[in-house]
Amino acid sequence: MKGHRSAFPFLFPSLLFVLVFSLYPIFESFRLSFYRLILTLPWLGQKFVGLENYGDLLTDPVALNSLMTTMIFVAVTAVSEVMLGLGMALILNESFRGRGLLRAIVLIPWAIPTVVSSQMWRFIFNDRYGLFNFLLFGEKTSLYLAPLADPQLALMAIMTADIWKTSSFAALIILAGLQIIPDELYEAASIDGATAWQKFRHITLPLVKPALLLALLFRTIDAFRVFDLVFVMTQGGPADTTNVLQFYGYKKSFAEGMIGYGSAISVGVFLFSLMLSLVYIRLIGARILERRETA
Amino acid sequence: MKAAIIITGIFFLSLPIASLGQQTQIRFVTWRPDPAWVWDQAIADFEARNPGLKVVREVGPHSSTEFHDLVTQKLRNRDPEMDVFFADVIWPAEFAAAGWALPLDRFFPAGEQEEFLKAPILADTYQGRIYGVPVFVDAGLLYYRKDLLEKHGFSPPRTWPGLVRQAKTILARERDPQLIGFSGQFKQYEGLICNMMEYILSNGSSLWNEKDLKGTLHLAKAKEAVRFVRDHIIGEVSHRGVLAYQEPESLALFTQGKAIFHRNWPYAWETANDARRSKVAGKVGMVSLPAFPGGKSVATLGGWQLGISRFSRKPEQAWQFVRFMTSEEIQKRIALFTGRAPARKKLYRDSEILKKHPQFQTQLETFVQAVPRPRTPVYVPLSNIMQRYFSSAIAVADSDIDQLARLASRDMDRVLDLLRGRTPP
Repeated sequence: MKGHRSAFPFLFPSLLFVLVFSLYPIFESFRLSFYRLILTLPWLGQKFVGLENYGDLLTDPVALNSLMTTMIFVAVTAVSEVMLGLGMALILNESFRGRGLLRAIVLIPWAIPTVVSSQMWRFIFNDRYGLFNFLLFGEKTSLYLAPLADPQLALMAIMTADIWKTSSFAALIILAGLQIIPDELYEAASIDGATAWQKFRHITLPLVKPALLLALLFRTIDAFRVFDLVFVMTQGGPADTTNVLQFYGYKKSFAEGMIGYGSAISVGVFLFSLMLSLVYIRLIGARILERRETA
Repeated sequence: MKAAIIITGIFFLSLPIASLGQQTQIRFVTWRPDPAWVWDQAIADFEARNPGLKVVREVGPHSSTEFHDLVTQKLRNRDPEMDVFFADVIWPAEFAAAGWALPLDRFFPAGEQEEFLKAPILADTYQGRIYGVPVFVDAGLLYYRKDLLEKHGFSPPRTWPGLVRQAKTILARERDPQLIGFSGQFKQYEGLICNMMEYILSNGSSLWNEKDLKGTLHLAKAKEAVRFVRDHIIGEVSHRGVLAYQEPESLALFTQGKAIFHRNWPYAWETANDARRSKVAGKVGMVSLPAFPGGKSVATLGGWQLGISRFSRKPEQAWQFVRFMTSEEIQKRIALFTGRAPARKKLYRDSEILKKHPQFQTQLETFVQAVPRPRTPVYVPLSNIMQRYFSSAIAVADSDIDQLARLASRDMDRVLDLLRGRTPP
C-alpha cells in the first residue's frame, strides 16, 4: 500500500496530461451537446435543450446518410488494409536480400502526411490528366472517367487513397506479431511433412491472430475518424456521397458555428468508436487468455 | 564579472520590449493574391510611409470556405493578435451578428462609402452599420471562343437554351473529342451556389424569401432551372468532370482551348488573354451571362473586403492600414497589375486603367447590377444545405428533383426559423 502511495507523484504528470487533454474535452463535448449554442446568433444565448440535439441527430437524414457512408468506409478500408497488411508482413518476414530496404520503402506511404497524399491522389484521379485514367484508357481520352465527380466512384476513390496509405501501418503491427512466432514450430511442422499452406493455416494464422485483431482495432477506430482525405479530395461531394461523419461534425461546429449540434455529432462518433473498441478488446483479451492457457 | 553578466542579460532581455515600444505590429490575415508582388509592394509602401507601424502577414488558404474556417476560428477564440482580415462578400453579416467584426462607421462615413460601388457596400452593411471596406469586386461573366462562334456564324447567346443550342451545333460540326460546350464550377462548394444562383434567379426565382424567411427552392421556376442544368448543361454540353471543378480547373479547360463557353469571374479575362498561360489568347470574348427566356441576366456578386477584428487592441492603427489598402492609389495598382476589378467607382473612368483593361468599361454594368447572395448571419448553414441539394440534383442523371428540393426548402425553413421572434440587437 505504501508503495502505491509513493507512485502517485510519478503518475501525476501523465495523469494531469490525460485530464487536461483527453477527459476535459470529452466532458466538455458531452456538456455542450445538451445545449443549443449557435455562435453566429449570440442573442439566442446558450440554452439547455436536454436530448434535443440527439433527437435531431437520429432523425437527420444527412447525418444518417453520413453514418452509412462512414460505416462503408470503415468496413472496406479496415478489412482491406489488414488483409493487404498481412500479405506485406508475410513477405517482409521472409529473409531475402534487400529486406531492410524494402521494409523502409513499404512505410513511405504511411510516413507521408495525409494532406499531402490526398492532394496527390486528387491529381491521380483528375478527369483530364490523371494517372488513373491514363493507366486505364491510355490515349482514348473520350473514355476518361471523373472519379471524384461521380457519386458512384468518389467514395471508392477516397477508400483507395486510404488503403494505399495505411496498409503499411497494418503490416507493421502484423509483422511484429509474426516475429514472435518461434521457428521451432515451423521446423517441427516440416519434419511432420506439413505443406506451406498447412503451416500458414495451422501455425501462422492462429498465432498472429492477436496482432491481426490489434491492427483491425487500430484501423477501425482510425477509419471512423476519417477527415483529412475528404477535406482535401472532395469536401463531402459530389451529391454528398463522401460526407463522412467527422467532416459533417466539423462543418456543423466550425463552419456553421452550431456548437451544440456539432458536439452531439462528435459524441456520437466517440460512442461508436468506444463501442467498437470494447468489442475488439474483448476479442483480443480472449485470444491472449486462450494462448496463456495452452502455453 | 557577475554584474557584467547581469547587465548584459538585462540589456538583451529588454531588446524586444524596446523594439515593441517603437513599432506597432498590425497582424493581417489574408490569402496570397496573384501576382503576390503587387501586395508585397503595397504593404512595403505602407510601412515606409508610416514609420512605427509594421504589418505582419499570416497567409491562409485560397479557398473561401477554408479561409472562412481559419478567420472564424480566430474570431471565436477572441484572438487579440489578429487586427485586420480579408473577408469574402458573404461574411460581413455573419461576423457582424456574431459580434466579431468592428463597425467601421466612425472611420468610414456614408460620404466616403458613396465613392464605392453600391453592391459591395450593401453587402458590407448589416443592420445599418458598415463592417468592411471593399477592395475588389467580382461578378459572374460568360466567356466564349470568339473564333469558334464567328466560324459557325453565331453571336454570343442571350439565353441559356440558346447557349446549349449553339454549343451542340459547334460540337457536332467540329467533331473534336477533346472539346466540350461549357465549363463552370459545379463542385459541392460555395462556388456551386454562385453558379446555380445565376440560373435560378435568371429564371425569375430565388434561393429563399428574405421577408417571409421561407425556402423557395421547391417552387416550379427554381426547380425548372436546376433541371435545366442537370439535363442540358451537365447532360448535353459539359462533361461529368465539371462536377469536381472549382475556378482554376474550369478555367484551365477553357484556356487549353477545350471549352467553347466558360463561366467565371473577371480575373479570368487576364489569364485567358495571356499568351504565356493560354492557348486561346486573343480568341476570347466576354459578355453578360445568359438568362432564361423571359428572365433577366443575373451575375452573382463576389469580391473581397478588409475588416477589422473587434478583439484587436489597436483599431486606430488597423484602420490606417485598411484605409491605405483600399485607397485610390492602391486599388488602381491592384486593378492595373492583377486584373481585379476595383471597388471604387472613379477608377472606371481612369484612362490608364481603361487603356490596359478596356474590358472594365463593359464589365461595369455587370458590377453595378450584380446580385449579392442574401445577407444573413446563418448564411453558412443555408449554403451547406443548398450545396448538398444542388450537387445531389445535378450529379445524378435521374435524381428526384421534386423530392430533393422539398427537403432542401424544409431544412432551410428550419434554419431560417432561428431568425424569427426576437429581433437581433
